[in-house]
Amino acid sequence: MKKVAIVGAGQSRYGEFPDKGIKELFFEAYNDMIKSVDKGVDPKRIRAAYVGNLGSGGFQLGNMSALVSEFVGLPYIHTVRVENACASGGYAIVSAVMDVLSGAHDVVIAGGVEKMTDVSSIKQKYWLGVSGDTEYERLAGTTFAGLYALIAHRHMHQFGTKREHLSAVAVKNHKNGAQNPKAQFQKEITLEKAMKSPYVAYPLNLFDCCSTTDGASSVLICDAEIAKEFTDTPVYVAGFGTSSDYLAIHDRPDTVALEGTKRAGRQAYDMAGLTPRDIDLAEVHDCFTIAELLAYEDLEFCKKGEAGQFVEEGHTQIDGDKPVNASGGLKSKGHPIGSTGTGQAYEMFNQLRGTVQKPARQVKDVEVGLVHNVGGSGGTVSVSILRR
Amino acid sequence: MAFGISGYGIAIPRLRVKKEDYVKAWGSFQAAGVKEKSVMGFDEDVLTLAAKVSLKAMASVPVAPDKITRFALASTSAPYVEKLLSGTVITNVGIPNGAFVSDHTTSSRAGTEAMLAGIEHVKSDSTGWAVVAAADAPRASMWSPLEHGLGAGAAGFVISNDNVIAEFEGHTTYACEHFGERFRPSDDDLIHDLNVKKFAQSSLVGTTTRAATSLMNQLGVKPEDYAHVVIQQPDARAPSAIAKKLGFAETLLTSSSVVAELGDLGAASTPVALAAALDSAKVGERILVISYGSGAASDALSFKVVNDRKAQPGVRAEIDRKEYIDYVQYLKLKGAIR
Amino acid sequence: MAHVSIPMYWRTIPQRYRMVGQKCKKCGSVNFPPKGVCKYCNESSEFDEVNLSGKGTVHTFVLIGAGGAPPEFAEQEKAGGSYPVAIVELEEGPKIIGQIADADLKTVKIGMAVSTELRKIYNEEGVIRYGFKFVPQ
Repeated sequence: MKKVAIVGAGQSRYGEFPDKGIKELFFEAYNDMIKSVDKGVDPKRIRAAYVGNLGSGGFQLGNMSALVSEFVGLPYIHTVRVENACASGGYAIVSAVMDVLSGAHDVVIAGGVEKMTDVSSIKQKYWLGVSGDTEYERLAGTTFAGLYALIAHRHMHQFGTKREHLSAVAVKNHKNGAQNPKAQFQKEITLEKAMKSPYVAYPLNLFDCCSTTDGASSVLICDAEIAKEFTDTPVYVAGFGTSSDYLAIHDRPDTVALEGTKRAGRQAYDMAGLTPRDIDLAEVHDCFTIAELLAYEDLEFCKKGEAGQFVEEGHTQIDGDKPVNASGGLKSKGHPIGSTGTGQAYEMFNQLRGTVQKPARQVKDVEVGLVHNVGGSGGTVSVSILRR
Repeated sequence: MAFGISGYGIAIPRLRVKKEDYVKAWGSFQAAGVKEKSVMGFDEDVLTLAAKVSLKAMASVPVAPDKITRFALASTSAPYVEKLLSGTVITNVGIPNGAFVSDHTTSSRAGTEAMLAGIEHVKSDSTGWAVVAAADAPRASMWSPLEHGLGAGAAGFVISNDNVIAEFEGHTTYACEHFGERFRPSDDDLIHDLNVKKFAQSSLVGTTTRAATSLMNQLGVKPEDYAHVVIQQPDARAPSAIAKKLGFAETLLTSSSVVAELGDLGAASTPVALAAALDSAKVGERILVISYGSGAASDALSFKVVNDRKAQPGVRAEIDRKEYIDYVQYLKLKGAIR
Repeated sequence: MAHVSIPMYWRTIPQRYRMVGQKCKKCGSVNFPPKGVCKYCNESSEFDEVNLSGKGTVHTFVLIGAGGAPPEFAEQEKAGGSYPVAIVELEEGPKIIGQIADADLKTVKIGMAVSTELRKIYNEEGVIRYGFKFVPQ
């Protein structure tokens, strides 16, 4: 079977940029990616682009991938918008990898872009609330914070997970994000501040939730056989997996696990011939602090129900034995929906090659990294394992 | 053949606002004898309350919803001026789509109007089953003294030949032309009153006493034959004035007096009061019901209690289930702050 | 607004007004709301219609507040304050999400018994959308 490599990765700054739309943001990430290719790449060699995007406020729901592709100088290619809510970027990567594996194209882009701060707060809530089960969950009066709060409350009830454990995730990720010049919030927070912030969806408070963010990212993916044409230090896709789940949480047998993560993770581990112990660094989907705790358990970094203790004991700190979200995660880096999955791959590409911007964030001796991207409250999940 | 009320139930929204809060806000409180009143929650309206009392009434018989052949709904504060209201209720409670339904909406007398619709149905078809639901929460401008007394509540009844607890004895209606008192123009969702007090009082007392007197004459009964008199309660003063004029002792009003704790329930006023009377009435006792609606009309109905089965939980328990809100919360819930 | 159209809402009236579910003819489990294929055995598309009691216990809940309500529910939150949304495990087996009405917020607990009542859910385009909410039993 063919092997697939990543030979370049770029990311725009994440944050609020009134002067930039999806075209400009995507161009910024694309240029950053092109620059990152050690031996250079002729854009003419790029034959396909998979672009993750939720909708960017609905202004270009149709054909948006053609729009951003031609804007960056890639007309006349195979391009498609990939939409699986917050997992759009992760699925863009998997789609690009499958394309190369199929032999259809040898050099392709997986990218993602979202412009979230252009719309009124009312419209923002509309776009953010319709990736769960709209008919029942949304019309019960919940937002996404509400859905994750339902999971968090049950997790606390069932396993004794504490408020401190949720806040510990926020504190850790802000600490890492403070070292990320492209993060939206480059500021550490104290445990006390995180614990005392106002509830938005009890038991989740403001600091349990990620923000709305503008941003884009892009990775260059190719057939491993030609990777050395672009760089001497490519990153390889060792395994990947995806799984959908029942969209509504109430339809799932287990409220306190994301079955999609468990299955996607298992597929990725099996394909790579690796175990959870082999993962040196993970970028997981922490749209809410509880989501990171679920990921520890569902990706088998710790036992079911023990994620609270796992974060409390420091295992997932940058210098811990299982570092998670060295980039700052969605929580601190920001969560521009369509870009999040490819942004995680951008971080992992640099971590594996030892090229992150600040040494304080560089995890030592990273051989194998895992990226985990969740759509909505777990309706879709993608996991990819990358290695040097 | 004897027929009448086979079951009943009431529903009172659990929120209450006190007279004192009005005094604090406006300097006075204009509803005589009202101490506090019930208020609908944000997610309640007359249709949700009507559904609740229909279910309770059917459960108290008990009768399965699919046996019901007639449904009548009464309210002056329905959410739509045009669109079938009964459809929401029968679909929720499971009354068949083939049942004959009617909405009675233009008068605080609509509660007894709907009851009589149910009674007429069972009278004409002895196998028929009628469910009647009266639910109301009248609305007036917060600037109007008329608004002070307006409460919210509902009562439902099952009328049939089976399991009768209060046999229907007869009824009369007195209808006439009157105006200026409690009216809602078609372009307004709030009720008005021109406050011509004596004129309005003469309509209230004149219309109701004519209906009641005519009924007692027709049935050949006297005021002494009644143990309970249930009269429309826009405030606490109105039923007293009417009872006095008809020669009833004030004590006969006690069992059905709910206005002090709930306020003016509009079209649900006499139905809720009747349910309260039924809760304490004993076998053999007679109940006289007198409704009133501006414009003006009054229905008088006579019942004789034949079974001491009571709806559970009782009216008292429903009235006692409450949570107080302040006047600002009241304004928000009433949609008075825009 | 989440664009749940009038016809789309209308199609769920049996569920929202009367808790109509499906009993799988193969495995006997009760699906609510309805599925194309039974979510328990994942094998059968043949069902008997069943009316659920609406009774159940709170499996988990959230308090929506501090301006955190979606646009359709913003007015409710402003006028009526924070509101609980629960996943309730119904006595027939399935779990379903819904608001809890008429409850003192301090008394809402995982495990508490609830039953359904018809309530106004929200209003769009001048049309009131009714449906079940849970109330303490």
